[in-house]
Amino acid sequence: MSQNPRTYERFPLLRRIEHVVMLTSFSTLGLTGLPQKYPNSGISQAIVSFFGSVDNLRQIHHIAATILMLGTIYHLMMFGYKFYVERARLTMLPSLQDAKDALQAFLYNLGLAKTRPQIGRFGFEEKAEYWAFVWGTLVMAITGYMMWNPIATTSLLPGEFIPAAKAAHGAEAVLAVLAILLWHFYGVHLKTFNKSMWTGHLTEEEMLHEHPLELADIKAGADKPIVDAKTLAKRQRIYWPIAIVLSAAMLYGVYNFVTSENTAITTVPIQDVGGPVYSPQTPTPQP
Amino acid sequence: MKRENNFFRARQAGMGFMFLGLAAVVVVAGLMTWPVSAAQSPRPAAQADAPKNEMCLACHAQQAMQIPLESGETLSLYVNGETFKTSAHGAKEVACAACHSDITAFPHPQRTAKSLREVTTQFSQNCQQCHADENGKTMQSVHQAARDAGNLDAAACADCHNPHETRPIAEMTKVDVAATCAQCHNAIYETYQTSVHGSALIGEGNTDVATCTDCHGVHDIQNPTTVQFRNETPKLCAKCHTNPAIMDKYGLPTQVYSTYVSDFHGTTVTLFENTDPGLPTNKAVCTDCHGIHNISRVDDPTTGISIKKNLLVKCQQCHPGLNENFPDAWMGHYIASPTKYPIVYYINLFYQFLIPTVLGGMAIFVISDFVRRMIDRRKGKNHA
Repeated sequence: MSQNPRTYERFPLLRRIEHVVMLTSFSTLGLTGLPQKYPNSGISQAIVSFFGSVDNLRQIHHIAATILMLGTIYHLMMFGYKFYVERARLTMLPSLQDAKDALQAFLYNLGLAKTRPQIGRFGFEEKAEYWAFVWGTLVMAITGYMMWNPIATTSLLPGEFIPAAKAAHGAEAVLAVLAILLWHFYGVHLKTFNKSMWTGHLTEEEMLHEHPLELADIKAGADKPIVDAKTLAKRQRIYWPIAIVLSAAMLYGVYNFVTSENTAITTVPIQDVGGPVYSPQTPTPQP
Repeated sequence: MKRENNFFRARQAGMGFMFLGLAAVVVVAGLMTWPVSAAQSPRPAAQADAPKNEMCLACHAQQAMQIPLESGETLSLYVNGETFKTSAHGAKEVACAACHSDITAFPHPQRTAKSLREVTTQFSQNCQQCHADENGKTMQSVHQAARDAGNLDAAACADCHNPHETRPIAEMTKVDVAATCAQCHNAIYETYQTSVHGSALIGEGNTDVATCTDCHGVHDIQNPTTVQFRNETPKLCAKCHTNPAIMDKYGLPTQVYSTYVSDFHGTTVTLFENTDPGLPTNKAVCTDCHGIHNISRVDDPTTGISIKKNLLVKCQQCHPGLNENFPDAWMGHYIASPTKYPIVYYINLFYQFLIPTVLGGMAIFVISDFVRRMIDRRKGKNHA
């Protein structure tokens, strides 16, 4: 209720930082990537001019991609911690209930159902977006690797995979950008202006309206498993060495991704024009 | 004639009448102040008062007429009167003195040119009095730039257009053009002769193909080794290669440019050409793979790049360390189809369905949600 000042934490600071990193790198990738898909458009050329040159544009695209990859590694490690050490509930995992919720929400919108579905910590809209992002990042990373390292790729795969990767990378980009503009912007900016990714909190009223099941769980103390300090410490002793090794391996992977290949020479030499430029016929005709 | 010359000394007496005629001209000319704007006139300024060409030819029709130059070279002073009459200048009755404007009397003034090159370059400065546009363009050319930089070999007007013999421009064929450039660029000409363009032009008289000027321009010929020229190459080739009126005759595809632009190299070069024409790019342009003056048919067994082993060599020029899978990363100007580049085709097809399906589904839900909220709000009902 609006009279009730009570708020509930929805996103802790680290999650919010992750979101900022992700949104900056994603936007940068879209802004520097799409002009390369549509090189003839005036908007593309304006964007390229803004960044100085298409080489600068690519450099920035590559930096943003690297940041997104690093963010992904952090996210995986964070998930590992929550999964193993905290034994947190897998609230992002899709389930049959989500499909039922989506259907009910749609029927409600059409006036064919009396009530909206009761949503927990993450609803079907958020899960759809999260998993779409996972799928998109995976596709973009794999196809991006192939374009960034075509010689390494074609040492194992047929050459056709490179233009195929380019086709998928460009099409997936269009899908991702439009999906964000449509789904994300509507879902958290237009429908209701949801500021929790910035403030970290939702009010009780918002919780009741958007995440009633989560609110009930919090009130019942069932939102987080309770782990005693000893067990926690024991799990952490196992988690950290594994996490460090895995992170190091993944960071090494990213390092290779970014630096291993010099695909092309930097300066194309002046080509053979067929002989010396000045080679007069003899005798030289004289006017 | 202050210059010691046996030929002239022997003929001095026979030229007495000519001397008198020319002397009259000098008097008239000396009284006139010649307006600068005369340079723009379609007729040479000296034309009206010039001595009759027959007067000049009285001596200069002698084949043996020549003088030594300071450089040790010999300058022939012979002009074939008959050839001149049918030339572009002769047909318009341009007076000798129009171009040889320093010669207003007999004996002629002393030459300042010390070599044959200087003779040509000095006289070429006279062309602008009638050919101002062409001269203006030539001033912007790589030839002029080279001459300005001290390279006297670089072509001046008279090198390409022999003023005593040049044909009216309408009679100049593509073969004539190539032969003209060959006077100084013979090695390139010989390479060009073996190319798909040159062999068709020189060998078969096929004028659909490019001759020198089609790519390099005419008077304002630009340095073809600049970044700008390289970045503009795809559009240059596209002038003919996207024209179905020419290409259809030979069964050549006209989507070579669009497929190039949609591929990696072309996308980059197009962006460079449009946004940074002065910045170099290491991405391939047409000539990097197809060659320049030695462009061959793509199905030529020894050099054609539709043959994978030939293409591999081209790829390796810029991409060292690749293997034989790599050339297929370039789609060879093909548009993906179920038979050519099927993986690309099916990925495109997949997204052609996926994108509208996903976005369409989202849009339907978003619209339904939006409308419901509007209705609920109007009814004053809590969006339950």
